[in-house]
Amino acid sequence: MEVSSKKKEAYYTATQMQLVRTRFFGNKSAMIAGSILLFMIVCSLFSGFLSPYDPTIAGRDKDYENGAPQIPMFWDENGFSPRPFLHTLSKYRGADTNFRWEYKIDTSKRRYVYFFVKGWEYKYFNYSVNLPGKALDFKIPGITFDTHLFGVKEGGIHLFGTDKAGKDLFSRTLSAIYISLAVGTVGVFISFVLSLIIGGISGYYGGWIDSLLQMFTDAIRTVPPIPLFMCLAAFAPLEWSSELRFFFISCLLGLISWPTLARRVRTHLLSERSQEYILAAQMCGASSTHIIIRHLLPSFTSYIIVDLVISFPYMLLSETALSFIGLGLREPVNSLGVLLQNATKADVLLNYQWYFIPVFFLVVLILTFVYVGDGLRDAADPHKTSNK
Amino acid sequence: MINFIQFTITRAFLAIVTLLIVCFIVFSLMELVPGTCAERYLAFKNTQGSQITFEDIEAEKVRLGLDKPFFYRYGKWVSDIVVRQDFGDSCILRMNINDLLSGRFVLSLTICLVALIFSYLIAIPVGIISATTKYVSLDQSLKFISYLGIALPNFLVALCIMLFMTVYFGDTMTGLFSQEYENAPWSAAKLKDFLGRAWLPIFVLGWNATAFALQTVRALMLDENDKLYVMAARARGISGMSLLWRYPAKHSLGPVINSIGFDLNRIFSALPVVALILILTEAGALLIEALARSNDQQLAGAIIFLLTATIVFVNFITDVLLAIMDPRIRKGVMGGS
Repeated sequence: MEVSSKKKEAYYTATQMQLVRTRFFGNKSAMIAGSILLFMIVCSLFSGFLSPYDPTIAGRDKDYENGAPQIPMFWDENGFSPRPFLHTLSKYRGADTNFRWEYKIDTSKRRYVYFFVKGWEYKYFNYSVNLPGKALDFKIPGITFDTHLFGVKEGGIHLFGTDKAGKDLFSRTLSAIYISLAVGTVGVFISFVLSLIIGGISGYYGGWIDSLLQMFTDAIRTVPPIPLFMCLAAFAPLEWSSELRFFFISCLLGLISWPTLARRVRTHLLSERSQEYILAAQMCGASSTHIIIRHLLPSFTSYIIVDLVISFPYMLLSETALSFIGLGLREPVNSLGVLLQNATKADVLLNYQWYFIPVFFLVVLILTFVYVGDGLRDAADPHKTSNK
Repeated sequence: MINFIQFTITRAFLAIVTLLIVCFIVFSLMELVPGTCAERYLAFKNTQGSQITFEDIEAEKVRLGLDKPFFYRYGKWVSDIVVRQDFGDSCILRMNINDLLSGRFVLSLTICLVALIFSYLIAIPVGIISATTKYVSLDQSLKFISYLGIALPNFLVALCIMLFMTVYFGDTMTGLFSQEYENAPWSAAKLKDFLGRAWLPIFVLGWNATAFALQTVRALMLDENDKLYVMAARARGISGMSLLWRYPAKHSLGPVINSIGFDLNRIFSALPVVALILILTEAGALLIEALARSNDQQLAGAIIFLLTATIVFVNFITDVLLAIMDPRIRKGVMGGS
């Protein structure tokens, strides 16, 4: 009896955030998705440490082009080894292989996998901004590391195989996840700011401003987004640097996807602005900006967070689609779309199916985002309290 | 009745205003593309061996009306489309856009609409089952499938199907027609060939649309199912299918009809990418060609305009349809009659 009353008290005195957290942690599928998502994000942040090779052309393995995935093993017909190893490969081409390069496995020679090996150098906190005009350029050298989780002493180790130029697909996938997430984050942030401003003005002032802005928002919503993206992305000249292009594409994603969120912000503000506490603030002489920032925005922070998480996968998908058709990011920048660009060729479809490994990661990434977003939405919904 | 006509006219007017705004956005975008049609035309001539001078460019600009102010050209573009149904000439292909698009746009539209119809035919019953089933695992797995519909975008589905086809059948099944029918006039044999190949783009386009529609239907049904009037009906002893179809399903159908326009929007959005992978020869493929390869602003503008006009038109139709079908809206529109 006492326990339950204590529980009840904890429940009634809990803040909104605590309630949301409790409800979210109770949702099993969202929690599983959340931990997978977290794992992928951490992996992508430490992609330099985890990937044995440089994901750009500098890290290519010219002795292993279009090579199949190599899985480290613990035993073969020669017995067991506590240290995982790979077999040695040799390149071979002749009349019997139709003059294509093929790889012969020599099972007698083992190449052992070592951990924490030194390899290519990667940097953290290394930023350089290259805007037009000398004064705006700045560079932070960052910290350089060269330790990697695993590697082999001779030859190469390619868990997911290699592509046409011999670049390691495992390293590329990791860095692609990082880049895709970064593009999504910038895009979500821009669309977030835009929708807050436009939806905020529209919902707070109402009247003809609202009608005008709504008409504009609706008009943008009717244009199919990907053709519109394509139209805008076609502006980017080919000679732009990959960083500039990256920034441009992220901005585009944000510039196009704001209407949905702006509409929700507006609807909420419209219902909220006639509440008494707003009237009270107005009576005290508070300015519009003050009321919007101090009173109205906090009233639906949780909704906004949920909406942001929900809109994230769509950002990723748009970026992937755009890069995939060649209008988004381009090499040497890696993204999941860039990785898939070559996968439509019949040669790849028939002979090199490991090009499709990144697809799996894209699907898992988006699925986990959708599940987490769904769980957050359920958790933030105040009408669900009766279930508890 | 007067009220209804008034409502229809207001909606039509709003649709036209939306279309004008979209036209303006599209036209401004076309203007912003670096380089003009005149320069492109002369650059093309240059490759044919004839010498061109600065004066030639100016003369060409005057011929195409590019020396006129922005708003004049905007007005001319819109009025040409509305009055004469003329989109002008393509900058690169040197052909009238109407000739270029006529058959292909109808083809694209047919594929998209068929995909849309199929997706609703599947999504409505399955969504209702998912929302009302007693078995949590069935609901969960349907939910997972619909999420997979989001996570596996159309172009990835197309890629995976192609992968599967090439590995197991040795044919990619791409294109809308076999080689011998590509340029042949429509006939029974061509139609048969077309149907044999069109199922793939229709399936690929319908895949995402079904997932989205499924989620809409499911969420709406869950919402309606908890409401008091459903409980009251249950208390009166109505149960099973008759309860579902008479009460919650009927009510949740309204917003579903409303979402048709946006679903069509989504399908159109996916069309160019899918067209690229499946090597289709319709409007979506032309759009990619116009944007990614040749910067053909006239052609791209015309295609985006046509796509948007279709969506605006569908939105208008669904609005009117809803006013006729949904008694709640009908009452609002017709003033309690």
